[in-house]
Amino acid sequence: MLRNTAYNGRCHVRGLVVVCLFVTLAPSLMAQTDGTGALTGTLIDPSGAPVAFAMVTATGVDSGRVQPAATGTDGTYKFSLPPGDYTMRFECRGYKSVEIASATVNENQTVVLDRKLEVDAQTNSNTAAPAQQPATTPSNNPTAPSLEDLGITPAQAKGSAEAQALLDRRTHMLKVHQRLGLITIAPFAATLISSAAAGGKQTSTTGRDLHAALGATTVGLYFTTAYFAIRAPKIPGTQTRGPIRLHKALAWIHGPGMVLTPILGEIAFAQKSRGERVHGIASLHGPVAIATGAAFGLAVVSVSFKF
Amino acid sequence: MLGKVLIGFWLLSLPALAGVDSQWVLEQSTLTYHVSHPLHQSEGVSHAARGKGVCHDGQCDFLIAVPVKSFDSGDSNRDLHMLQVTRGAQFPIVTVRTRVPESACASATIYLDLEIHFAGQTVQYKQVPFQRVAQGTETRITGTIPAKLSDFKIDPPSFLTVPVKNEMPVRVDLTWHPM
Repeated sequence: MLRNTAYNGRCHVRGLVVVCLFVTLAPSLMAQTDGTGALTGTLIDPSGAPVAFAMVTATGVDSGRVQPAATGTDGTYKFSLPPGDYTMRFECRGYKSVEIASATVNENQTVVLDRKLEVDAQTNSNTAAPAQQPATTPSNNPTAPSLEDLGITPAQAKGSAEAQALLDRRTHMLKVHQRLGLITIAPFAATLISSAAAGGKQTSTTGRDLHAALGATTVGLYFTTAYFAIRAPKIPGTQTRGPIRLHKALAWIHGPGMVLTPILGEIAFAQKSRGERVHGIASLHGPVAIATGAAFGLAVVSVSFKF
Repeated sequence: MLGKVLIGFWLLSLPALAGVDSQWVLEQSTLTYHVSHPLHQSEGVSHAARGKGVCHDGQCDFLIAVPVKSFDSGDSNRDLHMLQVTRGAQFPIVTVRTRVPESACASATIYLDLEIHFAGQTVQYKQVPFQRVAQGTETRITGTIPAKLSDFKIDPPSFLTVPVKNEMPVRVDLTWHPM
């Protein structure tokens, strides 16, 4: 290997020179192709909270070119701009507008421009109000465009009370499904915890009875929960997307698991009651219950948090 | 007879004579609503808006319409829930109307009075700032409508008994083309 390296030394040296040249020149090559700088910052209110969706505009002092951006939910904004001087303006309803006469952007450098916006008492009051349409509102103007002008027919614009009622019913049933699902977690967890006093050598009849009672409660709540999801009206033309797909897929694990677990538990219960050790298929009761619990927990988490 | 025909033509041409000075059509659009919950930060995006602007006597009237169900948050369950709480099946189209002096259309920042019809309610937002950038023959308008759920009498949907925030800002990015 070393001999080969020495033999090919000139090639390696040549290659090394090329690599070194590339590494040395890369930033300048990139600078030539990119040639921009960054201007970033965070807008906060007097309490220090980020100001979301504020409008930020960078206007080139020489070019006059206006570039708009909006702050994100964390109050940050970012521009990629050619080098030069820019007038910055920050606007958000409820806050006093701020203008900065000149911010200089240099090539391949990031300029940070944070600002605290002062509350504007005049515009902070909600200027939006339910329609009390004055005579000059656009909709009263005969030359104003209409929905028909946009190719939207009255039939398309007309809603359906039946479709809304179907949506309302679906939401109601899924809300019940959600609440019952969360309630089910409590007896489910208690059942898993009580299994320690139900399955070992030192277990008592009371421990087994408690475990069985908690298990029965869990199963009852689980299937009631499932009923509200299964019976919730389906909305035609809806393609399932997002975390709900995982939520539904996991039902294929915890659903059968919730059927199998009590059956295996009943067999195990009978074996223990006869003074036998849990054996045969009944020994799967614990692992199946754990897998079912894990799938159920994951199903809850999958729709509770955004990943 | 000829006189009657000419009068007929004149009457028919009246609407055209009283017609518009210039018109704009919405070429591209991105409307994004944002909803905040302690566990979720959700955005729904629609590119399905249609719009038209008609300028006459120094005033331009714009109408933008977008189907409520066209907003996509990447989660069909959430989209259906939003459709339900916003009464989107009963009121399927959101419309935004605004009137702006033709002279203001050349400004970099335009302050618009918006009349929004959504969820069966008509609400006016005054002096909403928008940025205008000319791109060749096209004009790009960007801004954020500071909408609130309560403005449209929408009950904030809740999750784990915690309701979402009342604020539902809508980012607007519209590219207009002269007709």
